[in-house]
Amino acid sequence: MPAKYAVGIDLGTTNSALAYANLEQEGKPVELLPIPQIVAPGTLEPRPLLPSFLYLAPSQEAGAYNLPWAENRDYATGEFARGQGADAPTRTVAGAKSWLCNHRVDRRQPILPWNAPEEVAKISPVEASRRYLQHLAAAWNAALPEAPLAEQTVVLTVPASFDASARELTREAALAAGLPENLVLLEEPQAALYAWLAAAGDGWRRDLREGDTLLVCDIGGGTSDFTLIGVASENGEMALKRIAVGNHILVGGDNMDLTLAHLARTAFAEKGVEVDAWQSVALWHACRSAKELLLSGEGPRKQPVTVLGRGKRLIGGTISVDLDREAVCSTLVDGFLPACGIAAKPARQRASGFRELGLPFEADAAITRHLAHFLTQHGVDKESAIRPTRVLFNGGVLKAAALRERLLEVIGSWFDRKNPPRPLEGIHDLDFAVARGAAYYGMAKGGKGVRIRGGTARSYYVGIESAGLAVPGAPRPLRARCVAPFGMEEGTEAEVRGEEIGLVVGEQAHFRFFSSAVRKHDKPGDVLDRWSDDELVETDSMEATLPAAKGEQDGFIPVRFVSRITELGVLELWCVSTVSEEKWKLEFSVREGGEK
Amino acid sequence: MLGFSVLFRIWGDPAFADRVARLTEKEDAPQELKPEAPAKKEPGRSEALTLLAALQREGRLVDFLMEPVAGFSDAQIGAAVRTVHKDCGAALERFFAIEPLRTEAEGAPVDVPPGYDPAQFRLIGNVSGSAVRGKLAHPGWKATRCDMPEWSGRPEAAFVLAPCEVQV
Repeated sequence: MPAKYAVGIDLGTTNSALAYANLEQEGKPVELLPIPQIVAPGTLEPRPLLPSFLYLAPSQEAGAYNLPWAENRDYATGEFARGQGADAPTRTVAGAKSWLCNHRVDRRQPILPWNAPEEVAKISPVEASRRYLQHLAAAWNAALPEAPLAEQTVVLTVPASFDASARELTREAALAAGLPENLVLLEEPQAALYAWLAAAGDGWRRDLREGDTLLVCDIGGGTSDFTLIGVASENGEMALKRIAVGNHILVGGDNMDLTLAHLARTAFAEKGVEVDAWQSVALWHACRSAKELLLSGEGPRKQPVTVLGRGKRLIGGTISVDLDREAVCSTLVDGFLPACGIAAKPARQRASGFRELGLPFEADAAITRHLAHFLTQHGVDKESAIRPTRVLFNGGVLKAAALRERLLEVIGSWFDRKNPPRPLEGIHDLDFAVARGAAYYGMAKGGKGVRIRGGTARSYYVGIESAGLAVPGAPRPLRARCVAPFGMEEGTEAEVRGEEIGLVVGEQAHFRFFSSAVRKHDKPGDVLDRWSDDELVETDSMEATLPAAKGEQDGFIPVRFVSRITELGVLELWCVSTVSEEKWKLEFSVREGGEK
Repeated sequence: MLGFSVLFRIWGDPAFADRVARLTEKEDAPQELKPEAPAKKEPGRSEALTLLAALQREGRLVDFLMEPVAGFSDAQIGAAVRTVHKDCGAALERFFAIEPLRTEAEGAPVDVPPGYDPAQFRLIGNVSGSAVRGKLAHPGWKATRCDMPEWSGRPEAAFVLAPCEVQV
């Protein structure tokens, strides 16, 4: 049956959403699906957002978290689970998505909640993502039983910074959750731009001009993401092309709320009021709403931050302190978006011999320094950074006018103070743009509408130990051979030139695997002898076991690499025998202790 | 392309979207699939209790109303009220999307139709019984929807408005 709907799913670090458009009735607006979820034990309420949190209940609580489509649930996803993150942190999974791209851990192993005690039955980051997606899929199927999600055109968004293995794991979770095989993964910043294009209609050709460089700046709850999109003219038509994507930066709105809570705690301390653990959590929430008011640009000069009393003594136990708007603005704006030079680099974590294995939170919270580094890294040469002429904001944090203005001001100071980049015109729906844009993309995929071209956001390399005299104690020098170039388009294949490699039959072939967001000119077959840490990042290794095959020579089969990007945007790496017709696909190995 | 430009406009222009919806309603209505919550079951307990529990959970309304206020200064009460007011207001907005019944400003002239419904018009002063023109003293309120949470707890917990909290 042909799909009746185009469905866009935004699987966010802190919130998820689902938007859809009717494919059979052109002209219907894109709508959001209300998502029934547990808001308190035994209490179900539909909400437009599903918070990406998961509460693993002890067995005696089973039954209190049932959904219309699930009996005897011993876990809860959504609003209630988010609240449990504060009240029962050892049983609450948060930030599963950031774990998906953490190469230091095995993401199929039950490791979350991180640092949970023994008696908690942990789950893997892939499983947590599967449960969020399954919740969305079940909500869809319950609302539209005539049009099961598995038969619709589904577009799922991922951070632009996700590399091939993180995408693969996301797809794995999605398919296990019942999403269709022909699921398309779309980069979040592109989805945000699609939402804008859809809202602007044909007017986008007047607002964006040839030669413009658009910076999509997405600051979410836990992460920040940058993408550059160029506007060029091709055969007289305006064309959009993704030029560069940044790294996954683990700084976002939550850091700001915590900073503000710290400020408030200091203010309480000055009044002689000690804030206990429970109040700290309430204070964090209070600061979140205070932040939105104070930064909105029109709020009062002083904003009280209040923590209601614990227990039933509400008024008697209430503590309150006034936060000064200017103090808050300067703390947040200067702390997270400080003025800096274009040559600035984010401060690195000081290497200590002993590093906790948790999420790699940024050592430097200054988002502007990360941005400066991003623009410089992608410049034509080392001296000149890419200059964005337009900016599209995304992410709830950027509802705050003070933050948007500062970002534009700092970018302006890097290039031309008098001509800072201009934000795209129109009304922006910062919370739902990604889901809406994904649904629009699903609709436009049939050929109509504007498409952003770009291909792979990274180039990929296989690590090969060079042959040479062994030196005791020193590893053999490693070289990296490019197997997939930057910008490789969907539905294309690349043969990797260069020497053949001999693979041992009957044993697991294992390759270290690297990716680069900045080396844009390497061609398949190019070999790098050395690179800086900035350039190449090691990701999960790849492996395949070769059965005995034709053309075996002394237990070896000579092979070449062929890389392929499927129509759905999945990177595949194949070993093709040079002496027979056979070929073997390499799979990502995300197991812990792979040869790294 | 017309189809797409219509789509674009609908996206950005709710009034236009309404017009298109009305245009297409006639032919499309029968086969239109409209997502709606699965058929609501009979509530497991009085929805009044579910509402009260929600206002306590989100805005601590029961704590606030049950606490004697005689001993507190206005400033102390005021500090607490701001938070309760904001959180309970947000919950009411979500459940009921409350709007004034009449859009006219207070003090504006209002026509009261003959055979008016006393649930919608409350006449104050010299009430004659026939159609009259009067001055709006209070615009009234209405809920534009009623989306209550669904409760499915155990029967013995039906009257519980907030669980007791135990630090372990």
